[in-house]
Amino acid sequence: MTDEKDAGGRRDFLYKLGFGAGIAALVGQTAASLRSLVPNVSYDAPTTVKLGPPQEFPDGLKFLPEERLFVFRDGKTFHAVSAVCTHLGCTVRAEALPRPEERTVNGVPLRMTHRFLCPCHGSKYDGEGTNVAGPAPRPLAWYHLSLALDDGQLVVDLAKEVPHDFRFTLA
Amino acid sequence: MKLLANLRSEKPSAPGVHPKPFWSLRPRSDREAGDAVVSNFLLHWFPAKTYKPSLDWTYSFWLGTASAALFFLLTLSGLPLLLLYIPSVERAYGSVKDIEYVVTFGKWIRAVHRISAHLMVAVVFLHLVRVFLTGAYKNGSGRGQKREWNWVIGVVMLLLTLFLSFTGYLLPWDQLAYWAVTVGTNIASSIPLAGPEIRELLLGGRAIDQSTLLRFYVLHCIFLPAAVGVLFAYHMWRVRKDGGLARADRQALLAEAKETGAVPTKTYTLLGVARGTAPTIRTASLEAPDLTVNAVNDLVRRIAIVVLGTIAIVGMLAVFVPSPLEEPANALVTPNPAKAPWYFLWLQEIVTITTVKIGKFTINGAFLGGVILPGILVTLLTIWPWLDRSAASGAGLWFAGDRKKQNAVFLGICLFILVLTVVGTFMRGPYWHFYWPWQAWPEIPSRI
Repeated sequence: MTDEKDAGGRRDFLYKLGFGAGIAALVGQTAASLRSLVPNVSYDAPTTVKLGPPQEFPDGLKFLPEERLFVFRDGKTFHAVSAVCTHLGCTVRAEALPRPEERTVNGVPLRMTHRFLCPCHGSKYDGEGTNVAGPAPRPLAWYHLSLALDDGQLVVDLAKEVPHDFRFTLA
Repeated sequence: MKLLANLRSEKPSAPGVHPKPFWSLRPRSDREAGDAVVSNFLLHWFPAKTYKPSLDWTYSFWLGTASAALFFLLTLSGLPLLLLYIPSVERAYGSVKDIEYVVTFGKWIRAVHRISAHLMVAVVFLHLVRVFLTGAYKNGSGRGQKREWNWVIGVVMLLLTLFLSFTGYLLPWDQLAYWAVTVGTNIASSIPLAGPEIRELLLGGRAIDQSTLLRFYVLHCIFLPAAVGVLFAYHMWRVRKDGGLARADRQALLAEAKETGAVPTKTYTLLGVARGTAPTIRTASLEAPDLTVNAVNDLVRRIAIVVLGTIAIVGMLAVFVPSPLEEPANALVTPNPAKAPWYFLWLQEIVTITTVKIGKFTINGAFLGGVILPGILVTLLTIWPWLDRSAASGAGLWFAGDRKKQNAVFLGICLFILVLTVVGTFMRGPYWHFYWPWQAWPEIPSRI
């Protein structure tokens, strides 16, 4: 009697073990297959980009499509505003204002010559990059500018957002 | 000689074997009609008998059959495209251009594929509307029916159809494709916490590149069609197990009102009958023999008309309706306006208007309109059979009396989606500004 009972227990245990092993193997292999699709390396474009000699930038605005960036120059001071819409990532377009506006941002004067419009969902930003209409949830990003130490080109750091009173001034 | 004799013979060579190698197009008896279903592979998923009113053109409009025909056509027209298209960011656009302008009949094959895809989105949606308005996801009189689960499978197949279309229009790697991926994956990216990871998984990296195209290509050609194929087969099997269209249940219910002694049932497996274990479904085919017809030929003929008709219509449309191809994908320029295909324009409208500010807190329309709202809609749609408490007698009846309210709300939502689609298609110009159709768009340079 006891032997039979033991045999049943053993059979039941082995059955469950086999079944469990099968499930575990299936889950493991599926997980491995799916995990292989999560990239471990991202071959991103570099975030610090040389934009050319600062003297060659026109006064006013220059659009750099590769970096999706607007670079503004007012005499010796520069600032860079991202062209990536904060809603869903389309490239906004700059539209010249009929007459430029003066504004003080955090105590620093800003001459606004353009406003920005998004072609995908109609977001609107003022010349400072602040979202004023449409679905954009945040202002456009401003990026850090500096000079390259080796050849004196203007360099943007697309990984370094800066507040709107940031200006890069040529010595 | 023996084979020839067998082919000619009208008598079965062995018990249970159909006397003819193919089914009879004009069966001379019910027996022959039933035999055709049992012995023919192509017909084996049909019932032997069909409830006549289920075949009415104006009950179902045969939208499910038309969807299946379009899927069949998409699979067939996709095969030559599979051999002509090159899934590489450098060469995809060129290969589609070649299909359009160089390959003999390439333009037509691509047009067949594209038109079938557009029609499939529309027809599958209309099929869902029909099933909702007729309450056909409701269980009627049969035992062991699970119509609500067939509805769930249907909803999943609608989503798969949309995802198939989405992945399909990315493949030419033109401007439409590039900016659709940008917007689509940024919607995924707006999900809190996991968003950026989901986007990375979809793109196969952080930027839209070769791995993105390859992922969408493999989804489009292998995973999604396979999923639709399997679910379609199960969908059809369930229709059979649930006793045919919901309309047949209604007949059984009406018959039940006047009590008639022993209730005839039908079953599907002979062994099941012998053992008494087969699921039995009360059906009109036995209770109202005057209202039933043989599946061969009445059902087969109608299916042939719908399938061949669909193929004929698409084949002819493809001759006259050209397939557009925008400029090659250009990461540097967003088209103005950048529009999704018509069936996603209502979503594009919604993400435009759903950014909300609560105090200092802003919720991106991408998340609210692109994830939450469609999520709620799909969830409601999926669980609706369990929320619908109307009487079983409403199953298989257009505009049942006690389903008035839910039908009205459902149609209201459909109308809302339709209006947004029309606005998005005809009334949005540069910078997504609103223009009446008769207003001219301002001249804006396409490039800056």
